Amino acid sequence: MEFDIIFGNAARAAFGPEAVILALAAIGLNVHFGYTGLLNFGQVGFMLLGAYGTSVSVATFGWSLWVGIPVGLALCVALALALGIPTLRLQAVLFAIVTIAAAEILRLIIGSTDAIDLTGGPLSISFDAGAFYDLNPYAEGPQVRYGVGTFAFTGQQMWVITVGWTLVALASLAVFLIVRSPWGRVLKSIRDDENAARSLGKNVFSYKMQALVIGGVIAGLAGVVDAIKTSGADPNGFRPQVTFFTYTALLLGGSATYVGPVIGAILFWFLREWIESFLRQLAAEAWLPQSISDPLSGSEGVISVGMVGLALILLVLFRPQGIVGNRTEMLIDDS
Amino acid sequence: MTVDAPQNVGTAPAEEIEPILRVRSEPGVTKPDPILTVEGVHRTFGGLVAVDIDHLEVQRGVVTSLIGPNGAGKTTLFNLLSGFERADRGRWTFAGQLVSGMSADRLARRGMVRTFQLTKPLARLPVIENMLLGAADQSGERLWVAPVRSRWLDEERANTERAEQLLEQFNLAHMRDELAGTLSGGQCKLLEVARALMTEPKLIMLDEPMAGVNPALAQSLMQHLSQLAMSGVSVVFIEHDMNVVAGISDWVVVLAEGRVIAEGPPWNVIHNDLVIDAYLGRSAGQAESTEREEPS
Repeated sequence: MEFDIIFGNAARAAFGPEAVILALAAIGLNVHFGYTGLLNFGQVGFMLLGAYGTSVSVATFGWSLWVGIPVGLALCVALALALGIPTLRLQAVLFAIVTIAAAEILRLIIGSTDAIDLTGGPLSISFDAGAFYDLNPYAEGPQVRYGVGTFAFTGQQMWVITVGWTLVALASLAVFLIVRSPWGRVLKSIRDDENAARSLGKNVFSYKMQALVIGGVIAGLAGVVDAIKTSGADPNGFRPQVTFFTYTALLLGGSATYVGPVIGAILFWFLREWIESFLRQLAAEAWLPQSISDPLSGSEGVISVGMVGLALILLVLFRPQGIVGNRTEMLIDDS
Repeated sequence: MTVDAPQNVGTAPAEEIEPILRVRSEPGVTKPDPILTVEGVHRTFGGLVAVDIDHLEVQRGVVTSLIGPNGAGKTTLFNLLSGFERADRGRWTFAGQLVSGMSADRLARRGMVRTFQLTKPLARLPVIENMLLGAADQSGERLWVAPVRSRWLDEERANTERAEQLLEQFNLAHMRDELAGTLSGGQCKLLEVARALMTEPKLIMLDEPMAGVNPALAQSLMQHLSQLAMSGVSVVFIEHDMNVVAGISDWVVVLAEGRVIAEGPPWNVIHNDLVIDAYLGRSAGQAESTEREEPS
């Protein structure tokens, strides 16, 4: 068993582009769910619009990438308004249903064969992200790697994660600055009891809308990073489980905390990759009897996701506040 | 008290209450200086008429209590007037302006603030943050101001000072940094009243503020309400305890089956036969009221 390889793989996943994307999505979800109490189950819809807004602008319309990115983010604002205006006055549960449905509708439309000319439909879309990679300061080459052992990135990956983690830091800082203010206090009051907020003169609808837009745009950034990372987008990358992974990361790190979503995203990918890598090694070393290793082989990814799910269940049972959350705060049940 | 009603500051209580004393004790009577005027407000739930008020006026700067048996429509009336429920029909004015149908938050910003029978503490926020939320017109509550701390910090400090004074008055100073979710039921009641006062209301509507509050604290809460009225804030509260009602109300309105059946100064209303009927049931009430004439 070569644990250095396992840890190297896990660390690469924990700090790679996938973790950046998850972290950004979780930071946005934290604004929705953690601070405002909005049960948004359609976070992946914002990521999808960020990714496709960018991809379609560049690939289909031939615009510059620097136009495509704002287009993607503007679409996220539009989705937040379209979702929020009719539904934010409804009960939290109804809002949850609408968001999950909206995200699925978007994915199905974008991935439909009728949309091939615009979005590539089920075939996925790809574009030239050269405008981004031209700025890459890292040396590139088939042999150039940054890191040690399996914890290493190519020059291109280094550029994506440098920009990505910078975005994560900026988004976290922006959320910190607005949430520690009286504005953030209104959000938290809406989460705890929106009628109390209303009785004290706060326009609950307007604050929910602001939170929905801000969190949605941050998730849109996650989609933009995804599109740039792969130089394109694929409808299959935006299934509902992306939203659930985002919830997992958020709860893992600590909902309604400033660094929780980032820590959660890093940990999520670390655990997932560690388990998957470990299972592969097990199979390779032939320590397991054939009857177990045969069906296991090829499904390491599925099992590792299952294990992360199990970890989440244990976490909710034994450490509901997450890694960095406040336990007393979490144990207060709102009646 | 910190109340923004300069025109009334320093007015002796007797002068404040005197005009209301000249008002006749009859349902729907007009009053010399009403802050709230209710006209034809009607609300049904299915076949049940919850609220059906022809005319009701609430005098400015006095303590008015709203009493009535269970199910009389007191809380529903509060909900309608404060914008938390929609009336089927009817209009009401607040401080001279038509406000019927206005949303709860706009009404609160205009100075009509209510509390709830089932308290609504912001459980995961500390007591002091609950209080600060109440402060009206905070520039830091605007998104584009919020990130720049220097632009709201002074205001926040001033509000914190005021909040701490109120917490002191309501015997909650020692709970300042505790999460509101850890308060007892009585403390929640006090917090809710104190938080409502942070908005500097013109009219404060309290739904059973004394329920579950220990007698000593209830006593001091009653004094607060009287002081508030003296400083020009109008107080309306729902209460079941007749001692409390008789103790601090300047005026009592009795609701039964959604209608105003009597109103007047407490000593007039509490012994009113109609009121006793409403509380004890018609036949029982008649029997008891004749039997009880001597002892009461």
